[in-house]
Amino acid sequence: MIRVESLTKVFRRPHAFSGPLGPLRTLLTRRYDERTAVDGVSFEISAGEIVGYLGPNGAGKSTTVKMLTGILTPTSGLIEVDGRVPWRDREANARAVGVVFGQRSQLWWDLPLIDSLRLVGDLYDVPAARFTGSLRRMRDLLWLDDFLNTPVRQLSLGQRMRGDLAAAMLYDPPILYLDEPTVGLDVMAKQAVREFIAETNRLGRTTVVLTTHDLADVEALCERIILIDKGRVLYDGGIDDLVTAYAPPRRLVVELADDETRTFEIAAGQSIPELIAQVTAEHPIRDLSIREPDLESVITRIYAESGR
Amino acid sequence: MIRPLAGMARVGLRFQLAYRSDVIMSVVALVAQVFLLRMIWTALYGGREHDPQGLTLEALLAYLSLANLQAFATTPIIPRIAHFRIRTGMVFFDLSRPTGYLPQMAAFQAGHTAGGLLMLAPAVPVVLLVGTITPTEHPIGYAATLALGYVISVMMSLLICVIGFWTLETAAISMLYRLVSHFFAGTMVPLSFFPGALGVLADALPFKYMGYVPAAVYVGHLSGGQIGQAVAVEVGWIAALAALLWAMWRRAHRRVVIQGG
Repeated sequence: MIRVESLTKVFRRPHAFSGPLGPLRTLLTRRYDERTAVDGVSFEISAGEIVGYLGPNGAGKSTTVKMLTGILTPTSGLIEVDGRVPWRDREANARAVGVVFGQRSQLWWDLPLIDSLRLVGDLYDVPAARFTGSLRRMRDLLWLDDFLNTPVRQLSLGQRMRGDLAAAMLYDPPILYLDEPTVGLDVMAKQAVREFIAETNRLGRTTVVLTTHDLADVEALCERIILIDKGRVLYDGGIDDLVTAYAPPRRLVVELADDETRTFEIAAGQSIPELIAQVTAEHPIRDLSIREPDLESVITRIYAESGR
Repeated sequence: MIRPLAGMARVGLRFQLAYRSDVIMSVVALVAQVFLLRMIWTALYGGREHDPQGLTLEALLAYLSLANLQAFATTPIIPRIAHFRIRTGMVFFDLSRPTGYLPQMAAFQAGHTAGGLLMLAPAVPVVLLVGTITPTEHPIGYAATLALGYVISVMMSLLICVIGFWTLETAAISMLYRLVSHFFAGTMVPLSFFPGALGVLADALPFKYMGYVPAAVYVGHLSGGQIGQAVAVEVGWIAALAALLWAMWRRAHRRVVIQGG
């Protein structure tokens, strides 16, 4: 469905000078700074997959998504989405993909939500009967009825995000790019967004590329993740394999009688009762617990090893 | 192709209607401006019936009222919209549509103008009365020069939208454009009063088609062959601007950066 090969994007900007005349020099300079946002990324995604595309801030995630939608042209490399090169065949690609950004909205701020949804129906030329059916489904799945006629500027973040998800899926695109769709949402709203994504994927076989910093999203939705940093792929595979391969040791956390907390790493093959016995012999303890490695600690470790 | 544009036009219209209080204030400003211009020009004429250009005071007042009404109704909103959407990165969505960016913006503008005309309607009788405007002898010439002038105005504002892809910042250009276009459209002083080089410049620039030319046709200051000539030059401007827009858009497209992660 999606094939990316040696994808690279280099941004070129006039050099920014500092000092009192800096802005003027920046305006006139012929000196350019280059920054490689995406550096030789390759992956393939099959139809119907939900893939987590993860990386720290500035890793190149959004730039990849912008190239996948055909808005940005890569400096080099190849993208094929459903057999098309997005930036060459923009129109057909536009009809095949839905995009949601947590940080920006496609809804018209000053108008009732329904106006933006109708506009999407018009822009993608969705036949009236199909539009009505789609809208009804969105209203049910995302509980839009309470605020369908409210101007978008008066919506809560969670409501706005539900509106954005509806707008992205109204024309039934087979591919959905989600860029931090749960950022800033409360627990309930996050849950609603996750359920919608899972449902869309299950019912419509929609292929989903999910970019997020919330690893709970990834654990709830994805079987596979692609981990990137500094524009390069660090890991591409199943979540379980990742945890097994990179899992840091389990840890024994003890709370001492004088309120101090100490952590002991449990080495592979080490007997836990023995460790506990040893620790309790040396320290008067009040409480103890064993911490299993989670996805977050795994990913933190991978970033640390990649030199961040 | 029609439906996406009709959709954008509807959103433009709704957008205009969402800011009713804004429009009401502008209408008040418009009526006040026409009234002030009337006072100043009446004083300047000082009892003379004709000015050196052969315009009667009455025709001049009618001209000024009309030119201001037209300039008000056709002032484009899209540079502001595009500026905001480029700055916030929302332009991403405009660019990700199956319909082209410039047609979307043009349709939005058309809807917005229609909304403005709807709300302007109650003010028209007042302006006509203050400006002592009587029916024109050249309704077709007036409608033709005005419609083409509007197309020129929209194309010029699309040009500003495209410039935004380079500069990422069009607020200053928009303000300058507004100032220059209103001045050279002749909303304060008819172009026939512009002296020497200024007059030549005003005559060469396309801004006069948004104000002076249609209003002068309306009051009979331009007639017959002059109308035909004006229409021909307007069509020429539209062709030239279309070519320029096309060339600039092709280059802007390659320059696209979407602000924000």
